[in-house]
Amino acid sequence: MDTLSNLGNGFSIAFDPTNLLFVFIGVVIGTAIGVLPGLGPTATIALLLPITYTMDPTASIIMLAGIYYGSMYGGTITSVLLRLPGEAASVVTTFDGYQMTKQGRAGTALGIAAIGSFIGGTVAIIGLTFMAPFLANIALSMGPSAFVALMIMGLFLVTSLGTGSAIKSICMAAVGLLLATVGQDPINGSARFTFGQVPLLGGLDFVAVAMGLFGVAELIKTLEQTEKAQVIKTKIKNIWPSRKDMKEAAPAIGRGSILGFFIGILPGGGGVISSLASYATEKKLAKDPSRFGKGAIEGVAGPETANNASSSSAFIPLLVLGIPSNVVLAMIFGALLMHGITPGPQLMTEHSGLFWGVIASMYVGNLMLLILNVPLVGVFIQMLRVRQGILVAFSLLIVLIGVYSLNNTSFDMWVVLAFGVLGWIMSKTGFDPGPLVLAFVLGPILEKSFRQSMLISGGSLDIFVTDPASAIIFAAILAMIGFKIFGGRFKKRPAPVLFSSGSGSTDTVAATDQTVVSGGVELEKSSNTPM
Amino acid sequence: MVSSPVTAIQDVQLKRTDRAGRRIAGRRIAPLVLFALGAVATVGSIRLELGTLQHPEPGLWPLITALTIVFSSIVILVRPGAETLEPWTSKSISVATGVSSLCAFIVLFSLVGFFIPAVLMMLLWLRVYGGESLRTTIILSLAGPLVLYVIFDSLLGVPFPRDLLLGLFL
Repeated sequence: MDTLSNLGNGFSIAFDPTNLLFVFIGVVIGTAIGVLPGLGPTATIALLLPITYTMDPTASIIMLAGIYYGSMYGGTITSVLLRLPGEAASVVTTFDGYQMTKQGRAGTALGIAAIGSFIGGTVAIIGLTFMAPFLANIALSMGPSAFVALMIMGLFLVTSLGTGSAIKSICMAAVGLLLATVGQDPINGSARFTFGQVPLLGGLDFVAVAMGLFGVAELIKTLEQTEKAQVIKTKIKNIWPSRKDMKEAAPAIGRGSILGFFIGILPGGGGVISSLASYATEKKLAKDPSRFGKGAIEGVAGPETANNASSSSAFIPLLVLGIPSNVVLAMIFGALLMHGITPGPQLMTEHSGLFWGVIASMYVGNLMLLILNVPLVGVFIQMLRVRQGILVAFSLLIVLIGVYSLNNTSFDMWVVLAFGVLGWIMSKTGFDPGPLVLAFVLGPILEKSFRQSMLISGGSLDIFVTDPASAIIFAAILAMIGFKIFGGRFKKRPAPVLFSSGSGSTDTVAATDQTVVSGGVELEKSSNTPM
Repeated sequence: MVSSPVTAIQDVQLKRTDRAGRRIAGRRIAPLVLFALGAVATVGSIRLELGTLQHPEPGLWPLITALTIVFSSIVILVRPGAETLEPWTSKSISVATGVSSLCAFIVLFSLVGFFIPAVLMMLLWLRVYGGESLRTTIILSLAGPLVLYVIFDSLLGVPFPRDLLLGLFL
């Protein structure tokens, strides 16, 4: 009952007019950037971080969360209509969604995606509501060694489930940890790697690093692209699906909700992995799998439901353990840190208003998204008319003055530019910036927990084995490494969806699914999605 | 992992060959740079004093991360991988010029305030990179910075460096 009364308090916070406004702003921006092929949720949140600095912490997290799950809805629109995924998780939706558009069923595809997203999101938030307090109680009893283990597992899963090469991701995570040490030593305050520069004494600003790697890098990358935007010719009608459509899609929505919820809890799990997993599941369970890739409604409903469920449940590790499970949540983690709030098991008791306010706002936000996406889908399509050149020029200007406003010094402008160039080079050389930013955020906490563990154990590494919680987590990490190394030898079996032997689950799904492969290739040819 | 649509698309498609994929030597530049970074950081950490595991000094944790960079960069050097990479094209040069213009913006911003460099930057990015019409370019280049100046300097109270032009009027 405690949970329900806390949730009630949360709703009273979420229904505060200011917070309600920020839920709305968040979900509208989220949907908009999902539609705009120029910016994904990561870049947008990076660009908005300086603004949240001046806001009330609860309102800022409510808004950023809204942008994240809102973008999952918005990305669907262009995937279905133009076969242009506005963000990564919607790539899967293009397979069947665009086929439905060609058959004149664009409205149905958008409608079922919105309904599925709403159901998936809501199921995951209900799970979040009841599971978070339970997990937080367990987490409160964990010592620093278990936190070291958890953070290492978080980094490990992000590097191995990510979309790039695992070893490159590990290298980037190490670079992120190293960059996090720039500044004063957390224990004795001596300067590390500051090269005599006074502005570096406080460390590199997370906002500048994130805005550079995700915001500026994406913006300058557009200079390499020459493609023109596409025009939508499709007329959208019959958005509300028929009873037959609903009947066909209902099991997929049900499975997608559960699958997405559990994948979202796993570090590295939000978004694209859940939608790929759901697509593979639906195709496997279908009576006639050949329909997939030719406009099967389950192929739209399942993945769309799953990606929304996972983007909501991904808040569980962040809010309960203080471990961001993907880059977007790392940004939200950074936003909380800027306000002097460290996410973790104590968040629920020390900042109960924020914790429950954010959760309650997600119920409200999902409802708003359903309303925005079903009757107002046409309004968002108009956003495709915004020309990229204008968007990029304004975004860059706002980035530069936004980052200046953090500390009122042009030093941060140089940092953001340097990381922008670094991010661009990384994308050209196949290095994923995600693990770097995640490690940069976790670095100081990981170092502190590691040093605390060493103090407790008197300098013995045995503590990681003797403490049951950390022993279990390390055993799980070892099991996953073992599976990664040896799992490839059992290729004849139906491929596991999550822990593949390749560079990520995307490969597994693609390898077992010719439709996906061919869909992807066609997609590549026709895609002119500039980031 | 949330990645960009572009990379996600690349992950999904598997059977694409490109010439960039065969240029293995080029793929070793990045790990070499990382190796150098790791080596320099290793030396830097040792200079910071390491202490013991029981009483770690400032250098111990950076040393662990630096060594991870060194070892992983060696692995990448040995096995640079063959995944599809975005090729370097003549268009990449425009990224370099674009970045130079941003550098110029930061330098000018400290010297003459926000408005003048912002207008110049907008002119360049809208007309040359964005391919906008002359009319749109001029209107947006003047109106955009003015609106942003009012929002950030006057409304949000961000202390911009003294503005050579707008400082006379606002």
